[in-house]
Amino acid sequence: MKVARLRAERFGGIVELSSPRALLHVDKQMMRELGESRSPLWELPEEGPLSAPREVHVVLSRRCAAGCRGCYVDATPQGAALPFEDACRILDELAAMRVFHVALGGGEALELDYLFAVAEHARAVGITPNLTTSGLGLDETAAGRCRVFGQINVSVDGVGAAYAQARGFDGFRHAERALRLLRAVKKEVGINCVVSRSSFPHVPEVARLVRRLKLNELELLRFKPVGRGASLQEELTPQQSRELYPMARGLIWKHRIRVKLDCSFAPMVFWHRPSRAAAAFFGVQGCVGGDVLAAVQPEGAFTGCSFTAQAAADARVPGAMQAAWPSGFGEFRDFVESAPEPCASCEYLQLCRGGCRAVSAAHGAFMAPDPGCPRVQEFRRARSLPIV
Amino acid sequence: MATLPRLRRGRVLQATFGCNPNSSSLGVDVTFLLFGAMLASALAVVLGALLRRDTAR
Repeated sequence: MKVARLRAERFGGIVELSSPRALLHVDKQMMRELGESRSPLWELPEEGPLSAPREVHVVLSRRCAAGCRGCYVDATPQGAALPFEDACRILDELAAMRVFHVALGGGEALELDYLFAVAEHARAVGITPNLTTSGLGLDETAAGRCRVFGQINVSVDGVGAAYAQARGFDGFRHAERALRLLRAVKKEVGINCVVSRSSFPHVPEVARLVRRLKLNELELLRFKPVGRGASLQEELTPQQSRELYPMARGLIWKHRIRVKLDCSFAPMVFWHRPSRAAAAFFGVQGCVGGDVLAAVQPEGAFTGCSFTAQAAADARVPGAMQAAWPSGFGEFRDFVESAPEPCASCEYLQLCRGGCRAVSAAHGAFMAPDPGCPRVQEFRRARSLPIV
Repeated sequence: MATLPRLRRGRVLQATFGCNPNSSSLGVDVTFLLFGAMLASALAVVLGALLRRDTAR
């Protein structure tokens, strides 16, 4: 086991392991045992936001030629991009804040000729760069250069015709080729699969592909009605929401693959009442925007997550992110304290944090309970209120 | 003979493995969740011991 670095926090600290790749939250005593004798943060109450995000999603551009019908950043071939110099300066500031990981994405980040230079800069300042890509246009040379990344996931929302149905163009062969090229140069390659109303039945085929190509993870992402997706009727049905977690469990057992769910699926997991202690230990949480994670948009906005537009600062202004972090993002951080019913009485509130704020915002109220949560739907059904 | 007070050892509170490449939201690993609190407790002890061992070296 190899400790890469430590970062003090109110509760103790975060230990980054480079082998195996992991982030461990430890208490103050463990930090002392690891050589960090004291921190001013340890004088503060243990409850409170992290000293900095653990990871930041850097949306490098809204530029992409694919034109997927549900694109959440509304990417177009001429979309805005974060210039190379700004990206590097932002990475410098994130490194000063002691952020561990960045997730680079877009748009299609591979369309930017400076993507690899940005990733190398992240490595140089001690941050692990990770990448999401459609894989379109990836050749052997580019695949070789992808060794600079930690984890790379290729977006595959279905296999064969199901891909075209989900994304609006026939790109499956390109995505599969990209996966093979990437897998030939590194092990940390997986699939991101957006689970929508129409792609839900096809998820098992994607899981089989993960197994067949010997990929290291399948990450299931919830369809969110934002960007171009706002005009689609693709949110999961109540029945699909209840079946999502059992399906994920089934895929793990059947294919012996690692399955991850994005944080917006937390209500669908907690409705099945898993062990709270296990969920807390393995970091299974709902909305951690503006706390564990943050995002930088191509126009420079420093936001709680990449699905929201509300900016706490302009990341391009030197020092602005560091200045905004301690007291910013109240709209994310305050949900648990002010949660309305049925969240307020839910035993999983501290973990679930009310589900996905971006989905609630898309339905008209940022601070409302996630309308896709089965518990919320039961609550509304009992009161004859409309259900998503 | 009086017993010496035993020092409490440090604890691992949370463990997340791998890196999240997803540019839209944090990936939470439900694979380990299947094994419940027993695995979490055992892993906390093992990781703590390994951390101490590697620091002592």
